[in-house]
Amino acid sequence: MSNTKAKRSLQRKVSLRLSLAMAAFIVGVFLILRAVITPAFEELELEAAHADLVRADQAIQTDIENLEAVTLDWGPWDDIYEYVSGRNPGFEKSNLVRPTLTNLGLDMMAVYELDGRLKWSQLLLDGDELPLEDLALLGGDDPAAHLLTEHANADSRTVGIVNTALGPMIISSQPILRSDDSGPVAGALVMAQFLDEKRLARLVERTEVDMTWLLVENYAFEGEHEFSDIMIGELPVRLSDELVTNCIVLADILGNPYLLVSAKTPRTITSLGQQTVGAAVLFLAAAGILLMVVLWWFMKGTIIRPIQELTRHMDKIRQSGDLSDNLSLNSDDEIGLLADQYDKLNSEVHETRAALLHQSFKAGKADTAAEVLHNIRNAMTPMINGLDRIGKVFKVTDGLHVKKAVEELSNADCDSDKAGKYVQYLDASFDRVVTVHAEATDDLKVVASQARQVECILSDQEKFTNVAPVAEFLVVDEVVEEAAMVVPKDAGANIHVEIAEELTHYRVRAHRVGLLQVLSNLILNAYESIERAKGGGGRISLSAKNTVVDDTEMVQLTVRDTGTGFGEEVRDSVFQRGFTSKSEGATTGLGLHWCANAVSSMGGRIFADSQGEGHGAEFHVLLPAAQGG
Amino acid sequence: MSTQHLDENIRVLIADDDEHILQAYREAFSDTESTQEMRALDALAAELFEPSDVTDDEPHFEVVACSQGNDAIDLAKQAANDGHPFDVVILDVRMPPGIDGVEAGSRIRELDPDVEIVFVTGFSDMPLEELQRRVPPPLRLHYFNKPLSFSQLAQDVASMVREH
Repeated sequence: MSNTKAKRSLQRKVSLRLSLAMAAFIVGVFLILRAVITPAFEELELEAAHADLVRADQAIQTDIENLEAVTLDWGPWDDIYEYVSGRNPGFEKSNLVRPTLTNLGLDMMAVYELDGRLKWSQLLLDGDELPLEDLALLGGDDPAAHLLTEHANADSRTVGIVNTALGPMIISSQPILRSDDSGPVAGALVMAQFLDEKRLARLVERTEVDMTWLLVENYAFEGEHEFSDIMIGELPVRLSDELVTNCIVLADILGNPYLLVSAKTPRTITSLGQQTVGAAVLFLAAAGILLMVVLWWFMKGTIIRPIQELTRHMDKIRQSGDLSDNLSLNSDDEIGLLADQYDKLNSEVHETRAALLHQSFKAGKADTAAEVLHNIRNAMTPMINGLDRIGKVFKVTDGLHVKKAVEELSNADCDSDKAGKYVQYLDASFDRVVTVHAEATDDLKVVASQARQVECILSDQEKFTNVAPVAEFLVVDEVVEEAAMVVPKDAGANIHVEIAEELTHYRVRAHRVGLLQVLSNLILNAYESIERAKGGGGRISLSAKNTVVDDTEMVQLTVRDTGTGFGEEVRDSVFQRGFTSKSEGATTGLGLHWCANAVSSMGGRIFADSQGEGHGAEFHVLLPAAQGG
Repeated sequence: MSTQHLDENIRVLIADDDEHILQAYREAFSDTESTQEMRALDALAAELFEPSDVTDDEPHFEVVACSQGNDAIDLAKQAANDGHPFDVVILDVRMPPGIDGVEAGSRIRELDPDVEIVFVTGFSDMPLEELQRRVPPPLRLHYFNKPLSFSQLAQDVASMVREH
């Protein structure tokens, strides 16, 4: 039973392994990208977020510095010095007016005398003037108030952030000095700006950082820290899926943690990194799949399909037994080499098998002949010895003296004693003849018996004469070309032998030597027929075709000649024993009768046709087609 | 070398698996009743007519026959032990189902280096050289193909014995 399907096909195995390898490659690449690339993007993102916080912090510090610069510009000025000393009352009307605050971008401005008493102040909130007391900052024993309203020397400064009842402010306080920075200190000049929504919007616009602030006491630390543990400076970074939040705690002018400034940075870098990793993985996956498809296609074309063809061919040969059927795989790689070697091996096995069949056929014949000879020789030995003795029977009377004994008895002078002995002699002679005769009879029986035994041996042998030789799968053109060599080489150009090219396509199941002899005989007959026609030359053409006879696929080989041909009247007798159209003494070959018997023993038949004498002849040999032939 | 006297019987051991052939051997090598009658008749003729030129110079054989190689070996061994070894051993080459004649001849040769061994066979697939190698010496080995005249063989056997 044929079994050409492997339990697991090579194609399936290769596809599975390629897919697994590709999946492992993609997963590996993904993991490597995630382990190496993603953290790098995260680090970049954290650095960028930190830079945002630094910019936000610097923006606030810049505003504080700007405010300090304005204060420094106004503090050392003779006009305000004289004013706070009570000697320049017009200063207030000309300079300490609302437009001054508006032009300087101030929300609050105050002038204190040396002893800390308020000389002049103005507080603006959303365009409205409010009393300074609303700030709940500058007055009483608040330590911050003293830092702002009193300066002991010319170098004293108070700059920073303060808490007020109206919200956090940046504030700067400068001692009032003469324009040449000489003292003594006459009082204190205080300027401030609210850290309100407008300022925040301006800072956000300026820094392009999504910043915000709130009082530390209002910040939800989510259990990370107790409020009392909060230190001035940066807090640990907070990460969410979409944002990186960096915070810094700023101190007020007293050095206490007061304002928490936070900068929120969208996680665009990480997102971009993830997109990059995803794109890279997708690209590699697509490239891998493409590579896998190409590899699979290449392997299928160069390895799997040739191996499948080789397997199918092996199975075909196993089923048909036709070793002459070559695979002829046109490939110059190792598989092609394997197929070529397989073809060569098949050819060698085919030739060896044919030789073995022929040899075994001959050996069988030789063994049989030896056995038959032995048996016949054994049977003939008693025959020869019996005949040898029978030959002696005919000479038995040569040594007898019967006539003389009778003459002596007839003689009257013969005495009675002698006469008795002569009678005894005659009696013994007679007994001798009788005995020899009896022995000869027995010998003849032995000879007859042995003759019958020889006949039995020969009859027994006759049973084997019909044993057909083992049939082989034969490529027709190989046998025909070998058979055509029977045409004498001195035939010259006058007699052409034409072998049809398509004979390579036909295979028959026959005994090689027998078919070779049949075809040789037909070709030689054709050759001699052309010679007898004396037409100065002719043509022998050999062809074949497929045909079906009694539902059996057959191959019809035809030997056609332009020789003498034959008439209708002998059509049916050309294959009879003894038939010949050749001249006396010119008979050659094995004879058409033998050909007919040989073809019949191969399961085929032979028939002839002719358009009449002088019109050539056709001899057709029908043989069973080999599978695939 | 010993010379066989004609008045002594030539002891012949014959082994062949074919009973018809054994019978033919017996008839060729033995004095049958017919032979004895003929001798009596010849003696009477000599007495009544003239001194006969018939002399009893015919060889006399003592034939022992068997159908298997092993039997032949046993008989040869027995004869040697009894002090009456065979002069000639005639063997068929193939005697199924037992050992073949060549094997039997080889072992008989080991028992008796002087015995004449004669192979008679219907097969011709055993080269003489092979026989000579297996059953030496060549001078005491003889080979005949069947069919053959046993009476002629008897003469040849007598000659072998005379010559040796």
